[in-house]
Amino acid sequence: MHYAIRHLTRFRYSAPVTESMMEIRMQPRSDAGQRCVSFRLQTVPRALVSSHRDHNGNIVHHFDIPPRHTQITVTAEAVVEVSAPPAPDAATGWDALGVGLPLDVLDALVPSHYARPTPLLATLTGAVWPVRPATPLQALRGLNHAMARHFAYAPQSTHVDSPIDDALRSGRGVCQDFAHIFIAAARSIGIPCRYVSGYLFHRLEDHDRSAADATHAWAEAWLPGVGWHGFDPTNDIEAGVRHIRVAVGRDYADVPPTRGVFRGGADETLDVVVRVQPTDVPVTPEPAEAVAPPWLEPVVAADDLAALQQQQQQQ
Amino acid sequence: MMSADPTAPAAPFARYQLGAAYDEMFAAPQRPRGHYTRLYERLLELPADELERRQTAADQNFLNQGVTFTVYGADEGTERIFPYDLLPRIITSAEWDVIERGLTQRITALNLFLRDIYHDGHILHDGVIPADLVLSCRHYRREMRGIRLVRDAYISIAGTDLVRLPDGRFAVLEDNVRVPSGVSYMLVNRQVSKRVFPNLFDHYNVRPNEQYGQALLATLRALDPQQRPDPRVVLLTPGVYNSAYFEHTFLARQMGIELVEGRDLLVHNNVVYMRTTAGLERVDVIYRRVDDDFIDPLSFRHDSFLGVAGLMHAYRAGNVGLANAIGTGVADDKAVYAYVPRIIRYYTGEDPILENVETFVLADDVQRRHVLDNLESLVVKAVGESGGYGMLIGPHSTAAEREAFRRQIEADPRNYIAQPTLALSQAPCFIDGGIEARHIDLRPYILSGERVVIVPGGLTRVALRRGSLVVNSSQGGGSKDTWILHD
Repeated sequence: MHYAIRHLTRFRYSAPVTESMMEIRMQPRSDAGQRCVSFRLQTVPRALVSSHRDHNGNIVHHFDIPPRHTQITVTAEAVVEVSAPPAPDAATGWDALGVGLPLDVLDALVPSHYARPTPLLATLTGAVWPVRPATPLQALRGLNHAMARHFAYAPQSTHVDSPIDDALRSGRGVCQDFAHIFIAAARSIGIPCRYVSGYLFHRLEDHDRSAADATHAWAEAWLPGVGWHGFDPTNDIEAGVRHIRVAVGRDYADVPPTRGVFRGGADETLDVVVRVQPTDVPVTPEPAEAVAPPWLEPVVAADDLAALQQQQQQQ
Repeated sequence: MMSADPTAPAAPFARYQLGAAYDEMFAAPQRPRGHYTRLYERLLELPADELERRQTAADQNFLNQGVTFTVYGADEGTERIFPYDLLPRIITSAEWDVIERGLTQRITALNLFLRDIYHDGHILHDGVIPADLVLSCRHYRREMRGIRLVRDAYISIAGTDLVRLPDGRFAVLEDNVRVPSGVSYMLVNRQVSKRVFPNLFDHYNVRPNEQYGQALLATLRALDPQQRPDPRVVLLTPGVYNSAYFEHTFLARQMGIELVEGRDLLVHNNVVYMRTTAGLERVDVIYRRVDDDFIDPLSFRHDSFLGVAGLMHAYRAGNVGLANAIGTGVADDKAVYAYVPRIIRYYTGEDPILENVETFVLADDVQRRHVLDNLESLVVKAVGESGGYGMLIGPHSTAAEREAFRRQIEADPRNYIAQPTLALSQAPCFIDGGIEARHIDLRPYILSGERVVIVPGGLTRVALRRGSLVVNSSQGGGSKDTWILHD
């Protein structure tokens, strides 16, 4: 399947700010069964956008805007090809999880900021797994089903920085909460598990609980012989051709789509518009690597920067 | 007619007591060690009020220079003079040689360790240190994975705390490889002790330490990723309210470099600039005295006003050097410390020259049970803290304090280690008009640039309260000059 994604983010400030600096994690990954065919990022005001690959292999774009401004718009446009992931081997047992794991897999076993064990989590896992399931896959599928039953999908019931206990206590949450609970639970029985931020393409016939045309989040567990396999506890499904993976990390804290700071005393309001559409196979697919960060503006020489700032402020 | 009792201590030493701890001055009662004999004799010669007079002069000196520090959490919460003890601590050339070789070996191994855990992680795969211990370390910075540093210089500046065991050997109590402080006191103590005991100082043929500022500057210049002939180096301070602000101003002055705060710097298109009256000027190397958590609000703590937004981008792009590197705190995590002897063997193939103090890792079930059964005889420390905060000293604790620590340990065992209560060595100190023994340690400062340089000496910290084992300045400690002798 090919998808065209347009992800528009607008930051508005209640008063003029300066020296905005922003990181963007919106370029879909090219790994496993997915290929990012093209990606374009534009900012208003315009900025020199540079990029690097972070320690999780995500492409991070970043830029700074020194002069005064009252809003920033970031438009990300991607074309992605997604193929169906292989079916995991249901027979693989616990022993294979033990030895010789690579560093990034080991890292997915350690508690992280949003996905850490709590007494409420232990109550949940005790109910889901009264005895240890026969295989890791069976454990994960059991967890996925149980979460769909136990938790109500309730938009706006939690915040981006809510701890898992909020959702565990109320039985309500959004995809991010469910992913965090799933991750913390999987790690607690020794299965490496990580967070995926991305998009889910919604078809009417699928009856997904998560909202269409929005960012989505789910979990990936590491299974021997398979590698990372996705579970979407919000919708009680396993990741397939409708899941478009943008960034992976230990939890949300590693992969927010935008992260920024600015100088100035202003309140920030954020609007996000996401559109995911199936698209025809592009006629001239370009490899994602060849899409250079858009050099929308010539490099501002260091000596000119102060002058530029003064100029802006006189207007 | 009164005759002097030959076994009674001479007048200034009337209150001096020897105990189980190693005594730096005395091999036996009234029998000073060879290198302390001249100091001992001098103290016997001096009129009773002369030491008092010199102490007053020394204190005045510190006050005039503004050598102060801040105690956090104290009611006053303000500036204090760092208590200075008159009597120098003397270390022989042979003893220093072992220390110097041991510390060089240790910092070399720790730098190789940091390079490894931020790249391939061989030591974790080989099971020399548990992977989860490293990965669960609060100071492990995943952002550093895969970033290549000039000369693989992670730790450029270390302050390693040594204690002398009852048998006279030095052992490492703690590594400080994030932003170690105190070197300014080492330098000021020397200025003062030369004035207080000018003749004695000349007699002893003490190795100089005043070259530290230039050695530090050379170490920092070597970190310029572009290897320019004349890189701009700045010292980044958290600001005037930081407990070590005096030291920041002192070192910047010694090196002739700019002292800046986060708001004085900015990053634009992955290059760091300093705001000056003449416009923006590029910065090549930052000696940062700001912790990782606060150094870049974009990458780390979002609420930090002390750092420079986007600094990690400039660092990753190879446009600025930092001392110390981001993420060095893994190497001085107190649980990782327990594995440093193995780390040294793993990377250097050598046995450690300086040994560790016995340490129980409380994440280990067996070790934890032993510790919880013996809290009253052990010292428990939080792994990520420093400065004597977050500590339980078993023998000096109340049942309520032990119970509180027991609960904290059980809630988060990874966060604690325990060590036996150490008999730190003792040295003569001038206290209340006489000379008494007090416990001391030693923090030498290690510079690792093109090569490892350790300026002879260090900061000898003194637990000024009688019987106390806590030497931290934040916990009522003082310091004295450290004389390393030529052969």
